[in-house]
Amino acid sequence: MSLGDELRYLRAFHGGGNLQEIEEAIGLTIGTLRYMEQRYRRVGEDDDALAKIAAYYGVPLDRLQYHRERYRKALSAVLHQAMESGDRTRFELRTGETVAGRVRWWDLGAFGLEPDDPDDDGPLTVVQRHAVVNWEGAGGEST
Amino acid sequence: MPEDLGKIRKRKGMSMNQLASRSGISIATLVEYERGAQRIPPSDLNRLAKALYVEEWDISPHSSPPPPPRQERPTKPPRPPQPEKKPPQEADGTDRSGRRHPKEKKPQPKSPPARDTQIAHLLTLAARFGVDRAALEAEIGKSLDELTQKEARTWNGRYMRRVAEEQPAKQAIDRKRAYLPEGVDGFELAYLQAQQEASAPLHFALFDGQTFEGTVVGFSPYQITIRDSSGDEITLNKLAIAYYRKVAGAGGGGAGGEG
Repeated sequence: MSLGDELRYLRAFHGGGNLQEIEEAIGLTIGTLRYMEQRYRRVGEDDDALAKIAAYYGVPLDRLQYHRERYRKALSAVLHQAMESGDRTRFELRTGETVAGRVRWWDLGAFGLEPDDPDDDGPLTVVQRHAVVNWEGAGGEST
Repeated sequence: MPEDLGKIRKRKGMSMNQLASRSGISIATLVEYERGAQRIPPSDLNRLAKALYVEEWDISPHSSPPPPPRQERPTKPPRPPQPEKKPPQEADGTDRSGRRHPKEKKPQPKSPPARDTQIAHLLTLAARFGVDRAALEAEIGKSLDELTQKEARTWNGRYMRRVAEEQPAKQAIDRKRAYLPEGVDGFELAYLQAQQEASAPLHFALFDGQTFEGTVVGFSPYQITIRDSSGDEITLNKLAIAYYRKVAGAGGGGAGGEG
């Protein structure tokens, strides 16, 4: 899950407040939080700002830093590579479950995972991208 | 000597509205009084005198009618447009301010000889049609060295038009947009469309651990509506969905869930 997805999740979890009001409450420049929530590329390089956000939402800073490494473009790259190679890939979901399989397609919001066994004519699992917390090779590590 | 009501009112700097409110007489009636269309009865004369801080006998009970409106002078028909006057010219062709007004256009100066680049361009264009220098000079009727810039421009234009006419029309460029799956959501929507058409039962797992099963009856980029086994329709927000797949038994085991 990207930092943007995590921040949106936290905002929703804390009552779904107005972005500008939260920025003012935290003491961030107007637009900072909106930028972090919406960008697909890596964002949140300013640890001071990230610490303020973490304090506001009552979560540890390293949680936000963890998601910072898993930006949406990085997941896109993994999905693209997995689809090209046909390799089995594992994804950890926010529900605590792990799903694995070969990526058949991916798009803006979701990706389709087919069973590992090519002979298995089982159904596709459609995973919502914002549900993915971690994946193989994310953040330079292999899970 | 009594004065007309309107004159007194104006001298006192009072508007019709103010007088009406102070005297308790309607504006319409006051207008009638001021125009002389109606005689002011003694009762109103008393009220008006009090309102205007004058004596009753200062107000004429019958105002003189206002003078008729001025008759507007008949408008003259618009003048026909006059030819622009030229300033008188002196015998030497100058006006009184001394500026010279040319009576006739000066003859154009002779075009200078054609530039080398024009000749080279013309030869290149002619070569595209298999016309060499000698044939070109024969076509023009003079040596290329004698061409003026204007003539060279004309001949270059002719050959350029010929090139444009005889060349095959350019094919429309077949531009293909970069394939960016992260910019579209067509795959998931196509999948949902197929499942809806097949009436395949799907199993949905939500973030909060809830699960739902049903057939897709509608969807949008943000929501999926399903009908469960009891016939109830449930709309699921895609932001709340973690994943979904066909119900086991309706098509196999699916991607491995390991959690």
